[in-house]
Amino acid sequence: MLALAGIFFSLGNWQLTRASDLKIELARDSASEELSDTRVYSLSDLTTAQGSLPFAALGKSISLQGHYIATYKAANQVDRDGEVDDWEVALTQVDSATAILVVRGLWSQRLTAPEISMATKVEITGRIYPTQQSDRTAVRAGELSRIDPSALTAVTDFQLYDGFIAASSESYRGGEITRERVEIGIAKSGTPGYYWQHISYVVIWWLMAALVLWAPFYKRREKPDAGSKEQ
Amino acid sequence: MKTPLSRFRTMAIICGINLILLVVYMVAKYAFNAFDESNPFIAIPIAHGYFYIVYILTVLQLAVQKRISFPVILALVAAGTIPVASFIAERKIVKKYS
Repeated sequence: MLALAGIFFSLGNWQLTRASDLKIELARDSASEELSDTRVYSLSDLTTAQGSLPFAALGKSISLQGHYIATYKAANQVDRDGEVDDWEVALTQVDSATAILVVRGLWSQRLTAPEISMATKVEITGRIYPTQQSDRTAVRAGELSRIDPSALTAVTDFQLYDGFIAASSESYRGGEITRERVEIGIAKSGTPGYYWQHISYVVIWWLMAALVLWAPFYKRREKPDAGSKEQ
Repeated sequence: MKTPLSRFRTMAIICGINLILLVVYMVAKYAFNAFDESNPFIAIPIAHGYFYIVYILTVLQLAVQKRISFPVILALVAAGTIPVASFIAERKIVKKYS
């Protein structure tokens, strides 16, 4: 009984997590308003490598310095205007322990500034976006099926920031790297009602758990009645 | 809706209608791409969750009052998730307890 109740309770918690994920999606809507915020923040002002990307950080401009330590192709990505293209995503070491994903631009222009090595410190400015939730392509070596730092946890020891930065400018040793940048739209999510649909399912699973826990007590209540009828 | 039985009947019928609408909605949405995400029919799946909560509560209230056995309670709870089943459950319960 306890195990069954535990399963129902866990399903409720799982549904609650889904509802939270949806809330992040909904926050993207409000983040689109943040695109008008012209202030440039440092990464540490807005988020940490330990937790999820805060809602308040979505779409904000960020400036950071780091080293590109690995490059991946993110295929079939869609930009703000609906153009589908492959993007170059760099795993960027921020300090000795942390790293973040940076969308540098189109994959076809990845050979721009080939002199940049892992030792080169690059100053990046861009906007921060939430981790992509769904795959854009099949998982292949050297590629990211979606821009999601969790996909790289097995291949790096760095603590990875949630979300990613879409670079609007890069410079090193005082020189600007000129290449076409990717403009990312903040997708309009579904109707907020979907959130409440998930919440209702949370209540249902927890109600099921309570029902299972109540079952043994319900049986005990039946016995005295049955006995009184016999008398 | 003064008695647990009438409350159960009402919710069984509401849940049954909502479930049929939900099936139509799902088929239209996923098989025919009939709706985008901002359609007003989104109220159908959302309402299903909340109607079902109330339905379960009416089942429990009726079960306590009528001393319904636990397997039957589970069957009634499950009937709220299967299209048409809540109509059948409503008919059987009304026949037995009214």
